[in-house]
Amino acid sequence: MHKEERGIGELYSEDPERADELLWGRKTGPSRRGFLRGAGLASMGAALGATIPFHANMPAGLIPAAFAQGIDFQLEGKDPGLTVLNDRPVNIETPPHLLDDDVTPASRHFVRNNGTLPDPMPLSDWRLTIDGEVETPMELSYDDLMNDFDHVTLRLQIECGGNGRAAYDPPARGNQWTTGAIANSEWTGVRLRDILHAAGLKQSGTHTGHFSYDEHLSGNPDLDPISRGGPINKMMDPHTIIALKMNGEDIPAAHGNPCRVIAPGWPGSFSQKWLTRIWVRNQVHDGTKMTGQSYRVPRYPVAPGTDVPEEDMMFIESMPVKSLVTFPEAGTEVAAGMPFEVRGQAWAGDNEVAAVDVSFDFGATWQRADLSPPPNRYSWQRWRANLRLPMAGYYEIWARATDDEGVSQPMVVPGWNPRGYLNNQCHRIHMMAV
Amino acid sequence: MKRFSLGSGAALAALLALAAPAVAQDNGEAYEFAPLPPGEGAEEVYYNCRACHSLRIVVQQGLSRDVWDEVLTWMVEKQGMYEMPAETRETVLDYLAENIGADDR
Repeated sequence: MHKEERGIGELYSEDPERADELLWGRKTGPSRRGFLRGAGLASMGAALGATIPFHANMPAGLIPAAFAQGIDFQLEGKDPGLTVLNDRPVNIETPPHLLDDDVTPASRHFVRNNGTLPDPMPLSDWRLTIDGEVETPMELSYDDLMNDFDHVTLRLQIECGGNGRAAYDPPARGNQWTTGAIANSEWTGVRLRDILHAAGLKQSGTHTGHFSYDEHLSGNPDLDPISRGGPINKMMDPHTIIALKMNGEDIPAAHGNPCRVIAPGWPGSFSQKWLTRIWVRNQVHDGTKMTGQSYRVPRYPVAPGTDVPEEDMMFIESMPVKSLVTFPEAGTEVAAGMPFEVRGQAWAGDNEVAAVDVSFDFGATWQRADLSPPPNRYSWQRWRANLRLPMAGYYEIWARATDDEGVSQPMVVPGWNPRGYLNNQCHRIHMMAV
Repeated sequence: MKRFSLGSGAALAALLALAAPAVAQDNGEAYEFAPLPPGEGAEEVYYNCRACHSLRIVVQQGLSRDVWDEVLTWMVEKQGMYEMPAETRETVLDYLAENIGADDR
């Protein structure tokens, strides 16, 4: 049982009504049921990640059964080898050796949530609103999207802007992602440009703002957990889609059921999950996490720890060139002098990867890997190399990708920035030859 | 292919201890405010922060007092947190800076 539960359990066993008040701010009236003037209902609901339909009946001092079970958290449908960074909100990353599939299965796709993980909305209730700078605002059902538009199926990389944050010093606040907030699943959906054309996009429409039906953790219905959007050119790119299927199946709850944006190659936050509305704007969208320092980096290089004024921060657009060693798993033993395969994935935001080089002598010499072209633009690319470790001992395999503009990954952590974005340092694994 | 283990040197043990800050207490009882590390103010942090989000996100951090101060302000201004009484806020900030500070990660 998780340690945290003991604290709650003890609190409830000592004085259940005081525990109600301390934990949730809950008070009950003379009936000793329900929530007096709603006090504590929102925070209990937020902790449960659900509303409580029969809250008026709930006895005072009752510990919600959801907390009576252990919370060594694991999300249904996820590979147990994934790393849970946080359970409320849910944030889960994937170790490198579980990213060896060319098409990332849903079970191995990282999860980055800002608010609740909502129960899927019934399809009959779900609508997508397109409004703002369009001639004909539209409200589309799932069936409309399935039947009235052309569909495309593409392998698309999505990477969290904060992937690699854990390596920055001084540390940047936020989830401490290491290398695993990247995935490349096969998504089927409608090109956003086709929907915007159908609605009659106006010349004045320069940006989008995206909205969703997940809820803010505070339980305050006036707050959006996240509402980002991007410049119209990115949204009109034929690879930016409103996805209806993930790997040929309905999109799982954790990945935005029934429908989400995929704006590949840019920070994942452009790819709103649980989508309900695209608001076409005549200015940069100013929703939650569009302002301040979120998803922004300094316009000029800064020394680690610098306090950068907000007006000197700019939006991140394309993610940088990057690669992973996905096979073998770090820590594998091989026979000295015998050839073996090393392989991985490489990607470069808006660009294509042009080369991957590997080294087993701490970067003194490099060997060019075989690199597959992407099956479609914005897919990651498979690389492979045959290596032979000359004698018994400890080795590190380093991989370094270069994009089609000649830009390579740095061997050390790149420029520090206040929120810890864009770390594309080379990946390395350790191996032993015996 | 077989995997090898790096053994159990002191450095590795120290790393593991860092990765699991909420180790069991001497008497074998789990710490009441786990996963927070024990310290004055842990109770206030536990109840004020856990109202909206899990404490795993708190213990992942390692921030200077100034950055923790900004985070608490941001929680109230942008994230719907109620405004803690000044004294409680000071206790919370002291605890975070002391126990989950920039040198603690």
